[in-house]
Formats: sequence, structure tokens, C-alpha cells
Amino acid sequence: MMSEPRPRRAAVTGIGVVAPNGTSTQAFWKATQEGISVLDRVTREGCEHLPLRVAGEVRDFDAAATVEERFLVQTDRFTHFAMAAADLALDDAGLGQADTAEAPYSVGVVTAAASGGGEFGQRELQQLWGKGSRFVGPYQSIAWFYAASTGQISIRRGFKGPCSVVASDEAGGLDALAHAARAVRRGTDVLVTGSTEAPLAPYSMVCQLGYDALSTVAEPDRAYRPFTASACGFVPAEGGAMLVVEAQASARERGARVRATLDGHAATFTGAARWAESREGLAQAIRGALDEAGCAPEEIDVVFADALGVPEADRAEALAIADALGAHGRRVPVTAPKTGIGRAFGGAPVLDTAAAVLAMEHGLIPPTPHVFDICHDLDLVTGRARAAQMRTALVLSRGLMGSNSALVLRHGADHAS
Amino acid sequence: MSDRITLDELAGLMKKAAGITVTPERLKEHADGEFGELGIDSLGMLGIVGELENRFGTPLDLDMEACRTPREFLDRVNSALPAGA
Repeated sequence: MMSEPRPRRAAVTGIGVVAPNGTSTQAFWKATQEGISVLDRVTREGCEHLPLRVAGEVRDFDAAATVEERFLVQTDRFTHFAMAAADLALDDAGLGQADTAEAPYSVGVVTAAASGGGEFGQRELQQLWGKGSRFVGPYQSIAWFYAASTGQISIRRGFKGPCSVVASDEAGGLDALAHAARAVRRGTDVLVTGSTEAPLAPYSMVCQLGYDALSTVAEPDRAYRPFTASACGFVPAEGGAMLVVEAQASARERGARVRATLDGHAATFTGAARWAESREGLAQAIRGALDEAGCAPEEIDVVFADALGVPEADRAEALAIADALGAHGRRVPVTAPKTGIGRAFGGAPVLDTAAAVLAMEHGLIPPTPHVFDICHDLDLVTGRARAAQMRTALVLSRGLMGSNSALVLRHGADHAS
Repeated sequence: MSDRITLDELAGLMKKAAGITVTPERLKEHADGEFGELGIDSLGMLGIVGELENRFGTPLDLDMEACRTPREFLDRVNSALPAGA
């Protein structure tokens, strides 16, 4: 009989953020912990007349400054974000081209995408119907596709390890991180993982107009206020984050800083826009994540909420936290910094995961901008950041199509020896 | 023979269709090297052929397997183009 292999723990060693409130991890954290909101009127060309008024746009991102032209012409904005964020994460992890080139099969990529390359696709479809099929560029075949970011990151950096893409709605961002952690446990040394989205071009925006959960409020400070009596839906955003996840032991061996460990995850499905049912689904996901992490409810020090902003969904989430965490669910600090930047679909829970790691490192829970007067039994952090010693964080995510996911992560310094 | 495609024009097409910046001089030096070494993949080649087909308004029936280098590509494109196109 084979002996039981020692489980490999998946550690976060690098974080790369391209978000509406900052195109570096430092800028993102500064704005996030200060509770600065960057929600603003939509300015993207061709979108001004649409009934979606407020969004979280990434405005200070120069793709050409970080990504080579041959990759830019082949890819959509969502992949530009992904390549830039992957570079930042690898840089943060101290993994340069030369390091990964030595062992290309030990590095893989897992991304999640909920919307794909809408802007690139729109341009090519306009060629198709405006001029004819001969004027559609060949890169349309790959640029719009959900898997584009995984493929292009691996090609550009020469990674030959296991690559995959998770297309499971907004919660797919957490599922991708969990898939990366599983790949590490199965033996791959390093995974570049996360999600970035670019859903703010005209075609993509029109696709979202059918969502009942979308906020059409025109005032940026009133458009996205989950857990309040004035909740009126969510504000979409673009951007996201990529993480470097690797085996904790080999990370320590090469002298990398273990910033956090991904210890537990579970996902459930309860159907599109069936928010009342998401209570049970989300609670079950939380229980599954706690179970995998070997974590008691009382050990959770902070919850990063999904915070959809639809009254029925907010109620379901508050009840799910109480169902799964018991009495601790009413005491544990809960936050939703995404009210300051909007929901970047699959990118949103990865940004929350990045914020959770940074919160544990800084001993500071970032606040929930624009939200006051909570109408649920939650200790929501509002106004200013709250100082707290945190060892364990819970990140929650739900998708508009019915996916629910929960991720438990622990502070890296927690098990340094 | 002003209707023939030159290395200059090929360099322009590579930039437009595949985002590859190559000077005509470098392309001339590399005329017998493979496109892949210049960073052009098969979709990039397809884009270049599509640009030429649209420019000349005629399909180019090229055996791309036999067009691995700039010289091979230009030879075949120029003989496939209708005279006086």
C-alpha cells in the first residue's frame, strides 16, 4: 500500500492588482483601507446613452506600457488586465523570467472569466456586418474566448504546467483560486491564478442591461448600497487581480514570503437570480470551506461579503452567515470594500481575496464605502477602517447565474515554523 | 512590376495584422528564416493573407505549409496575384 502523501499547503506568495481604485497592489490597498470610492459616471465611448449610469472604470491603465504589441493585437482588454496583473503578481513573488524558464512545466495558469472579450468581439462583429466576413481578423477566434487570459499568460511567460479556465459565473473567481490550490496539492509547484474582466464596452454593457440586479441609479454615492434599506442593485466594474499560489514548503525553501494560505473552499449552485435559495447554498458553501480548512466558525476573524445590493439577496447573505457561523455570525466583522469600486464579476472575489490578505497583514479591516444604517443583523465595518488582529478570513461570492462560493484563508505568519 | 508585394509592404502588414515590428532591413536579412522566429504565428499569417486578399479583391489560394519564410511567402503571393492586379 502506498503511504498517505503529506498534503501540500497552497500559499499565496504574490499579488497583482489592476482595479478601478489602483493599478498596483499598493495603490489598491491605500484607497481600499481609506474607504475611498471611485464609482463614477460611465465615460466609455459609445456607452453614454445607456441606462447604466455608474460603473467602476479602470482609468489609469496603459496596456502598451506593460504588454508587448504582438500580444496586445491578439487580445481583448480583459486579457490586457490579466497579463499586467500576472506580471505584478510574479514580480511580487520574486519569480522572474529566468526563474520560471528553468522549470517551465512546474508553472501553470488558472483564470476565471464571466464575460470574455466583449470589446474585441464587438469590433470584429462590426466588421462582419459592416464590411463582410473577409474583414474579420483571425484573432477573433481566440480573443473573445473565456480561456484567452489563461492561454496568453502561459504563452507570453513560457509556462508549460497545468493550465485551465473556470467559467462559473462571478463566483468563478474563487473557484479558480481553489482549483489552483488543488493543482498545488497534486504536485505543481506554482500557479498563476485569478480573474480580470472588462465588461464596460458598449456590447458588453447592453448584455448586462437585462439583469434585474443592475443598478441604474445615476448618483455615484447612491448607486451601490448593499445591506441598507436603500439597496438598489449593484454597480459593475472592470479589472481584477492575479495571485501567485505555490506549495508552501517550496516557497519557504526559495525564501519567498508566504503571505497567506488557501485552506478551504466549497461551491454550490442554487439557480439564476433565486436569491432566497442562495441562503442555503451560500451557507452550505461556507460549511464546506470551513470543513476543508479544519476551521471552527469562531476562528473566522473577518468576512468579505458578496454584498450584491439587492434587498432579497442581502437578506439571504446575512442569514447564510448566521446559519453557517451561528452566534459568531452576528459578532464577526463583515466588510464589502467593493462598494467603492463596483463588482468586476469574476474579478470581484479575487480583489476581495487580495484585500483580505492585505487586511490580515496590516491588522486593518477596510470599510464599506457609501453604506450606513445597516438593516441586517451584521457587524458591517462602515465609515473608517477598523483595527483588528486577524488570522483567518472568509471570502464570499455569488454569481448572477446562481453560483455560490466560499474561501477560507489564513495569514501566512500564522504557521511560519 | 509595381503590383508585386515587397519586403517593405510585408513589414507593414506584419505590424498591422500581427503587431510585430520588423524593419524592412531586418526582414531582408531574415528572408530565409522562418516567420515563427519573428514572432508570427499561424493566425498572424492568416491575418496577413486576409489583408492582401481584401486589398486585391481576390482570394489567394496559397499553400501556407510552403510559405514558412518571407521569401517563400512573397514568391508565392506574387505568382498567385493576377497579372496587372
